[in-house]
Amino acid sequence: MEKRTFCKTFFKNKPAVIGLFGVLLIALSGILAPFIVPYPTGYGTEILEPPSAEHWFGTDGLGLDVFAQVVWGARTSLYVSLMAVLVAAVIGIPAGLLSGYKKGIIGSAIDAVIDIFLTLPVLPLMIVIAAIVGSSINNVAIVIGLFSWPSLARVTRNSTMKISEMQFIEAARCLGIPSRKILFKHILLNIVGPVLVNLTLVMATAVLSESSLSFLGLGDPTTWSWGTILKKAWDAGAVIDTPNPWWWWFFTSFSIMVYVICFNLLGNGINDALNPKTRE
Amino acid sequence: MLDAIYIQKERGTAKVLKYMVRRGLKGLLTIFVSITITFFIIRLMPADPVSLLVDPKMGPEVQEAMMKQFGLDKPLIEQYFIFIKEVMTGNLGVSFKTRQPVIEVIMQRLPWTLLLLTVTVSFSLLIGIPLGMLAAKKRNQFFDKLISTLVVIGISMFIPFLSFGLLYIFAYLLKLFPTGGAYTPPPAEGFAYYLDVARHVVLPAFTLVISNVATIILYTRNGMIDVLKEDYIRTAYSKGWDDKYVIRTHALKNALIPTITVTGLMIGTMVGGAVMTETVYSWPGIGRLIYDSVSALDYPVLQGAFLVLAIAVVVMNILTDLAVAWLDPRIKLGG
Repeated sequence: MEKRTFCKTFFKNKPAVIGLFGVLLIALSGILAPFIVPYPTGYGTEILEPPSAEHWFGTDGLGLDVFAQVVWGARTSLYVSLMAVLVAAVIGIPAGLLSGYKKGIIGSAIDAVIDIFLTLPVLPLMIVIAAIVGSSINNVAIVIGLFSWPSLARVTRNSTMKISEMQFIEAARCLGIPSRKILFKHILLNIVGPVLVNLTLVMATAVLSESSLSFLGLGDPTTWSWGTILKKAWDAGAVIDTPNPWWWWFFTSFSIMVYVICFNLLGNGINDALNPKTRE
Repeated sequence: MLDAIYIQKERGTAKVLKYMVRRGLKGLLTIFVSITITFFIIRLMPADPVSLLVDPKMGPEVQEAMMKQFGLDKPLIEQYFIFIKEVMTGNLGVSFKTRQPVIEVIMQRLPWTLLLLTVTVSFSLLIGIPLGMLAAKKRNQFFDKLISTLVVIGISMFIPFLSFGLLYIFAYLLKLFPTGGAYTPPPAEGFAYYLDVARHVVLPAFTLVISNVATIILYTRNGMIDVLKEDYIRTAYSKGWDDKYVIRTHALKNALIPTITVTGLMIGTMVGGAVMTETVYSWPGIGRLIYDSVSALDYPVLQGAFLVLAIAVVVMNILTDLAVAWLDPRIKLGG
């Protein structure tokens, strides 16, 4: 696929551009968090203030600025989802490549493992494992990654199977190029598209998982994450009790939604730009 | 022509039987692997369940006797083989926390999960299939684009966000529905009880419908679009039949195949996947049970819950395959 056609189709697709813009915005606010707002810590004097010019998203039960928490939460979410994607990629891509390229026992064995992992109950198992390994953001990220690789491996495998039957791979094999080089150079370069699409989707689900785990109290209590903010708000009765500081949970959960939607839009956009036919 | 159909039917029964046997074996294997993995993962939990079981005031002899009673004094591998043997005979052990048989604990929770699941799946299908079909019919028009946007939002839904929003509006502001639980204790009698449960199920079910209906819409829409391209649909149109008739008698059955597959998957995972919803709404189902058992280090109950989840996924996969093969005879039942 030519780069220029790809960019042209991608940037013509409005939702995809919105997604890209949103992803960049969130990434920037996460990376630049220390330059945007000070780290929310300790106690504030203005408790449960509604949104104002001073506190854009209001303040929480300890008087801390919710906007600051959301920005620093973006940092955690971004870090966790990147780490999770990295773990998923390190396991999933080689597993998918191998099982798609090698026929026989190795291929079908890996495929069977992928199958079993796909039928495991993901969230309940994540809860158990997160409880085992203890709550640090790295642990949470690794747990999420360990359960995200099967879908990536499946996509990689399916694309690899298609490519390995092409003649240039046959030719490479005849030339005596080692399998490792064929896999990571000739095949991987040709399936970057579908793999990339799946990676953005993994980013989206990773942040959902991270927020879910920390909402259930299995996240890192020492860092701000969107799930932790929601847990604090929920435990304080900010949703159903009176008085009702709706801003405490609304802006946080809204950020989670925006983050996930943007990654999904970006993934769809890349997918559509790679296969222009599906759109028409 | 007729002969061919008869032969196919006869072969079909044998085929289905053979398929069922092979699929059943594969299902058992999946369940076995799944409970083996969960057994060892659960036993990795660092905290000591004995400290929960045993009162520190008890003497060491009593403590040892209790460990023996629960089989915790044996090496891990032996515990595993005992566990597998007991599962085969239908014995899931006794809860560490309540000392109730695990099967009883699960049977108390399962009906609630199934109730929530039935309501959710019925409404998702009732809303999702017509919307998906309409979107396919109005392809690339405004309605279709609107639906596509809603689908992306639905797929990206974060359950607590949705739950908080619904609770805020319907429970806090409007006071229409209760904030959690499955009934108001003490449970009322007769009709009043059912009405009470119905009021409690609305918000959790609504939450799950919104996050699941998007998938149904998407698969129905894409399935319909694919089928409408087929030759036999063009043939049907060329016979002069109207839209409604062609869609209802020719297209719908085949178009719904992807929808049915994804619904089967959804049901299989929702037995345990509703952890978040059940936790927010304090719904006494299997998902909530898993969450509670993790905090209580209740190994036997966790183990039992994971067994139920594995069975649910495998059974739903087999049922889905059978349903799809029945709907579309061109699809062969394979391994």
